[in-house]
Amino acid sequence: MVREDNAKLLLDALKRTGVNFVASLPDFSLVRVVERLFEDKDFIHVPLSREEEGVGVCAGAYLTGKRCALLMQNAGMLNACNSLSTTALQFQIPMLLLVLYAGYRGDVAFPTLGQVTEPVLDALRIPHHILGRVEDAYEVFGGALVQAYNMKKPVAVLMAKWIF
Amino acid sequence: MRRVDCMKAVAPLTDGILCVTTQGGATNEWNAVCPSDGNLQMKTLGLGSSVGLGIALGLPHRKVVVFDGDGAVLMNLSGLVTVGWMQPKNLIHVVFDNKGYEASGATPTATAFHANLTELAKGAGIRSAVEVRTVAEFEQAFKRALAADGPHFITAVVEIAKEVGQHTRYDEVENRYRFIRHLEKLEGREILAYPADISRAM
Repeated sequence: MVREDNAKLLLDALKRTGVNFVASLPDFSLVRVVERLFEDKDFIHVPLSREEEGVGVCAGAYLTGKRCALLMQNAGMLNACNSLSTTALQFQIPMLLLVLYAGYRGDVAFPTLGQVTEPVLDALRIPHHILGRVEDAYEVFGGALVQAYNMKKPVAVLMAKWIF
Repeated sequence: MRRVDCMKAVAPLTDGILCVTTQGGATNEWNAVCPSDGNLQMKTLGLGSSVGLGIALGLPHRKVVVFDGDGAVLMNLSGLVTVGWMQPKNLIHVVFDNKGYEASGATPTATAFHANLTELAKGAGIRSAVEVRTVAEFEQAFKRALAADGPHFITAVVEIAKEVGQHTRYDEVENRYRFIRHLEKLEGREILAYPADISRAM
């Protein structure tokens, strides 16, 4: 379960990058972050039922001038591959993909997810960065956001479980 | 009832309204009936309700219409659930239900049998959900949706079109820029801004 202070630090870092619109689906590690999103009036928060819709919701919000992030687990990122291809990439929509990296180094669950996540992002030509320390959140989120707008495409931040 | 006749009936009412259309006949017919840079032509089947929701939440003072198809909606039923959860007052979701995958060979969809989109929308929490079967009924339902707070869901039962029309002449990237520039004019503010504040801080 995510520590309360880290959930706050992560959202504060995200806020400093100017992100003001977040669509989300929870993972056990993301619970405290999602709970805060429901309360935090600085974000428009859209709770999803499936990750693929989140790409569409963020794309629509981007077209109106919002800075958008889609928060999910990597299994859900795989659910979103078609909309990432035919909406986000094909229409050149920048957004942050904040992905809980199940099956990453040290994780004893989700071995298959851990193996396919980065190759799938590579195949989609979506740049990805690992966030392994909460203290780095602002630098990684901000850098990924600049890259997303510069390249006009989604950029993923793969968040290790141990930061929560 | 034909989809294109429904569109012709409501086109004069959509000035200043943003229209998201699903790929295939709905996109081609709408852009023939009502060409505008405020039309967004979706490529991902099923994502109309989701993109429409994102636009509606970003511009809560402006009406947003989604022209969708039964096959597309069935691919993303969770999109209805999220609209039902967020309750955007300015979203009007029109589904032309021709009970078949018109653009890919016209084999039947589930609505040809036991599935009912209007009931699914109601079950998702979209209380203003109606089914119409004539152009006059459609026009009336559309006018009601423009006049009252939503979200609204209109199932228009139509026949399968004999042909799905011409593809639009410009691609997704041009559509993106035209749509954003159109919105900038309507809203009187810059939208296509690079995040200079963040790049300076990095």
